[in-house]
Amino acid sequence: MTDQQTLEPPAPPEAPGPRSPRRSRGDGSHARNFSAGFVVKLILVALVDALGVYGILAALAVQSWGILAFLVLALVAVNWIYFSKRAVPGKYLIPGLLFLLVYQLFVMAYTGYVAFTNYGDGHNSTKADAVEAISIQNETRVEGSPTLPLTVVQRDGELGFAVVQDGDAEVGTAEEPFTAADDATVEGERVTAVPGWEVLGFAQIAEQQAAITELRVPFSDDPSEGSVRTQDGSTGYVYQSTLVYDEATDTFTDSATGETYTPSESGNFVSEDGDVLTPGWRVGVGLDNFTRVFTDSRLAGPFAQITVWTFAFAFLSVLTTFAVGLFLAIVFNDPRIRGRKVYRSLLILPYAFPGFLSALVWKGMLNERFGFVNEVLLGGADIGWLTSPWLAKLSILMVNLWLGFPYMFIVCTGALQAIPADTIEAAKIDGAGAWRIFRSMTLPLLMISVAPLLIASFAFNFNNFTLIYMLTGGGPNFVGTPVVVGHTDLLISMVYSVAFESGNKQYGLASALSILIFIVVGAISYVGFRRTRKLEEI
Amino acid sequence: MRRSIPVVAATLGLALTLTACSGSGDTGDDTSAAPTESAGATGTLTMWVDDTRINEMEPVVATFTESTGIDVELVQKASGDIGKDFVAQVPTGEGPDVIISAHDGLGEWVNNGVVAPLELGDKAGDFSESAIAGVTYDGKVYGTPISIENIALVRNNALLTDTPAATFDELVAQAKSAGTPFSVLVQQGPDSDPYHLYPLQTSFGAPVFEQSADGSYTDTLSMGGPAGDAFAAYLAKLGAEGVLDLAVDGEKAKQAFLDGQAPYMITGPWNTSAFEEAGMDIAVLPVPSAGGQPAQPFVGVQGAFVSAKSENPVLANELVVNFLSTEAAQDALYAEGGRMPANSASAAKVDNGILKGFGEAGATGAPMPAIPAMSSVWAFWGATEAQIISGQAEPVSTWNTMVANVQDAVDKV
Amino acid sequence: MASTVVDRETPSTVVERDGAPRGRRWWIEIGWRHVVGIVTIVICIVPLVYVLSASLNPGGTLTGSNQLFRTIDLQNYRELFEGNYSSWFANSIVICTVTSIGTVLMGGAAAYAFSRFRFQGRQGGLTALLIVQMFPQMLAFVAIFLVLLSIGDVFPMLGLNSRLGLIAVYLGGALGVNTFLMYGFFNTVPRELDEAAKIDGATHAQIFWTIILRLVAPILAVVGLLSFIGTFGEFIIAKVVLQRPDEFTLAVGLYFWAADERNARWGLFAAGAVLAAIPVVLLFLALQRYIVSGLTAGSVKG
Repeated sequence: MTDQQTLEPPAPPEAPGPRSPRRSRGDGSHARNFSAGFVVKLILVALVDALGVYGILAALAVQSWGILAFLVLALVAVNWIYFSKRAVPGKYLIPGLLFLLVYQLFVMAYTGYVAFTNYGDGHNSTKADAVEAISIQNETRVEGSPTLPLTVVQRDGELGFAVVQDGDAEVGTAEEPFTAADDATVEGERVTAVPGWEVLGFAQIAEQQAAITELRVPFSDDPSEGSVRTQDGSTGYVYQSTLVYDEATDTFTDSATGETYTPSESGNFVSEDGDVLTPGWRVGVGLDNFTRVFTDSRLAGPFAQITVWTFAFAFLSVLTTFAVGLFLAIVFNDPRIRGRKVYRSLLILPYAFPGFLSALVWKGMLNERFGFVNEVLLGGADIGWLTSPWLAKLSILMVNLWLGFPYMFIVCTGALQAIPADTIEAAKIDGAGAWRIFRSMTLPLLMISVAPLLIASFAFNFNNFTLIYMLTGGGPNFVGTPVVVGHTDLLISMVYSVAFESGNKQYGLASALSILIFIVVGAISYVGFRRTRKLEEI
Repeated sequence: MRRSIPVVAATLGLALTLTACSGSGDTGDDTSAAPTESAGATGTLTMWVDDTRINEMEPVVATFTESTGIDVELVQKASGDIGKDFVAQVPTGEGPDVIISAHDGLGEWVNNGVVAPLELGDKAGDFSESAIAGVTYDGKVYGTPISIENIALVRNNALLTDTPAATFDELVAQAKSAGTPFSVLVQQGPDSDPYHLYPLQTSFGAPVFEQSADGSYTDTLSMGGPAGDAFAAYLAKLGAEGVLDLAVDGEKAKQAFLDGQAPYMITGPWNTSAFEEAGMDIAVLPVPSAGGQPAQPFVGVQGAFVSAKSENPVLANELVVNFLSTEAAQDALYAEGGRMPANSASAAKVDNGILKGFGEAGATGAPMPAIPAMSSVWAFWGATEAQIISGQAEPVSTWNTMVANVQDAVDKV
Repeated sequence: MASTVVDRETPSTVVERDGAPRGRRWWIEIGWRHVVGIVTIVICIVPLVYVLSASLNPGGTLTGSNQLFRTIDLQNYRELFEGNYSSWFANSIVICTVTSIGTVLMGGAAAYAFSRFRFQGRQGGLTALLIVQMFPQMLAFVAIFLVLLSIGDVFPMLGLNSRLGLIAVYLGGALGVNTFLMYGFFNTVPRELDEAAKIDGATHAQIFWTIILRLVAPILAVVGLLSFIGTFGEFIIAKVVLQRPDEFTLAVGLYFWAADERNARWGLFAAGAVLAAIPVVLLFLALQRYIVSGLTAGSVKG
């Protein structure tokens, strides 16, 4: 794969530099100003430009200003970078950065935004949506009112309903209550024709769905008798709104009690007595989500214990998977071993199966009474691998080792190839022991490329929600705590328990908490990363 | 209409498609004056179905398309994702028109304003009360019930042929006489399983929430008090006797029953099909009472619900209210999928003894609460039951601490 | 732990270049490695035996019993191919191949820039790249949906329900941890090689495409493999983006069979997972040639 790519360079080569005449390799065209590489670049950039210009026009048409702005900036950047002689590193960075900006940074920005809102159950959308939802949820059918066979009619673009009530046909519109239409034709139980009106068939109804479902025809001159509406274009019912929205004052009024509900700062309509209408809408809540972690007394109890375990878990997971992965990589880095290709390929099997499937299998195998480990391996032992607090922690680490060592094995196998064999050979001739060679040559050299991965792996395990969720669910649980958390819960699964499993889902809170966790992990990684830079200096 | 231009574009696109579809070029302005009785309606509804139901839904909606001309695009979703994605996607205007889902998410959807109320009208009378109760929230109907599911006592006729037990204790005693490794299998797990234990709990008179006069649940827990204490003590007893064992998880319980290692198992129709496929002779009975009152399982209702922001409200209602509710449609769904239809007339025709057994056991059941507060309950509930069954904690006080903690969590919501 | 074992077991004697050692020497130098390999493989495989057993049992459970292989029946495998499984397989192979090639190219280019050029913001950029990857993805399923929704208005090809759109999302992660792996490896390629080429008049592009990439083939293969496997198993984003069953990737399709706790079709799922593991193992088998044949191929001795 890589060989082919080195033979035909598909992406951004540069125009020949000032010293090109001395170039020894090449396709012979370098004497002219337009090398093959330059042509390829020109074509690629032209394609990108064409796509971008198309995108700009399309964005203009659908008024996506955000996309428009991004495309303009991206196009300018791409053209400048690839045709300038100065921005050489940019030529190599920009393709990846563009994708990163669109997809990763958007997720970040969105999470950051949500953290400052009350987004979650009950505050799921905009105020307009909330007003609409409250209105439709509080329009109720008048008790004991009849089912009206209904026909949708139209005259000069005005929609109306024709219904049959007690055998008599009546027609009405949004403006005019139902009045008798004696000349209407009634077939079966419904009106099929009204002089002066056009009767709409189902296809025509389908074309005006929104208008028809929004139409309310007053039942009589007395508004308190309610109005007729239809949801399917063929049956009408008499409805009354119990809550009426007044756009001018931006309030809901209960038509029975006269109570008014006004919008509150927390994104709900609230009455003076404190009655709250749902749904509410999404509003900014400032730093509330961030401060809640410090003010919510329910979180205080197990917090310290869980934090310690989270650090221990993440650290030990990295240590064990790396140690085993590296060991195996070294063991099979000896060309004299027969069948090592097969060994290596089988070693990555745990990595080739879906992680949650493996976690489930392990859960079954570690079952206290019937699991493979106790029943078969240990001959009917009764060891609570997942039910005793300490053993559950051990089991999680072991399963994570099983799941994670192939990754480290692959990485180390690759990274080992960078270590110059001559140096090691020389050290051996000088009489250095294997351990010394490993400690003072192999490991430091390996660390240069692998250390950032270890940091990333630490961060990944710090938030390894899936494993905990699938294997123990955080259990064994603490007895009687006000939040359901257990001995193997990580900070992230505690967040999940608090923000999602305690009643309403609270995305705002979850985002804020996970950003706090991110800051902690990010800071640790930053420090760790700075230290690896020193390794590099060796 | 925030995104006006895309909507216009979409409408234009739709218009073009319509023209292309009708193909007869007579769609000029004046032709619309002629009322058409034809069923040539057009439009496409998007419906989310979970992957275990999509195959039975396909031929049924095909009949609908045939008779109305409305296309229904079925989108396969994982059952756990339907409710979640519905809440997330409806506000963007890109959500589905209709979803088929278990009713226990209804409270959340209403609370988020993503589901539209429906008027079943007289059709409501075609369904059992508990089915309608399931799709009702706050006194309003939001869906058409499709099928009903609940757990019951399943007996392996090869081991025992008669169940004289009037109480759960008698049942256990009788089951032990069969001499199998397990007596009455009730699936557990590290966090127990409150759903499968619920018939026992209700038989002590300790339902999860108080019900108001119309049958809807309130936010007040009703698990505490002397009834709750008695149930907690009973759980501890069953745990100590080894009838309930946290190590018996769903997988183990199913396999043990398949292997003839227990005469009884409390489970639902999702497992009986595997038992039948394995050639077992089984019978389905109501769960005997443990505490003197009727043992009520949770009843789950699968319903069809319409999005509050559907762009095709009329078509969606046509499908959900006027088509899926009918005896014919529910007969067809039963024929394809073998689940207990919610339509009473269709249900009466079911002659499968096993499904009928589940139906009878569920007749007295309690609808699974759809109120959002329910989601605060599960985690506490399971964790506490597990601690009681394993003998790790003193039953009554632990149970009461849980009730206090749950009520606290519910009130915070 | 590993290190102590290395300490004890690896002898420091000089190894004959030609001809394998025999007898006790063979055990000390080579034989024990086979033992380690076999033991590790057994540990790797035991849990997977449950999966294999479940895949051959149409009505059974995943871990309900330790009596494995009671029934051997290929019904699950037959059923796989009656459904959409083969198109999921094809989708996964295409999506993962494109993603991993894209990741290798973009990540490799970025690593080259970081390794060979000195520019403002280099250090900061490197650190930022690493830390960005740690950002919580809790809301990714909503955010990605929103971003694809708006992109779809402009570029329908890259919107929801599009495999190309999904690839683009995956490429958003191309500059990540893998860039570091490559960056570190690039740094081990002696700069003198570039300098020499530069003196010969090669441009930076020529150095990159014809010299560096060839020398770092092992790490390119490693990164390609990691990216392939990572994408192969990803289902959280994929199930938001792809909605039509014939467009699913393997991971999404399999997830559906296991997602419904009560109706989970473990037999089918297990069969699907067993077959899905094959391309991953084969790919590794094929790429090993490149992984272990770098600068120092053939000269590394144990």
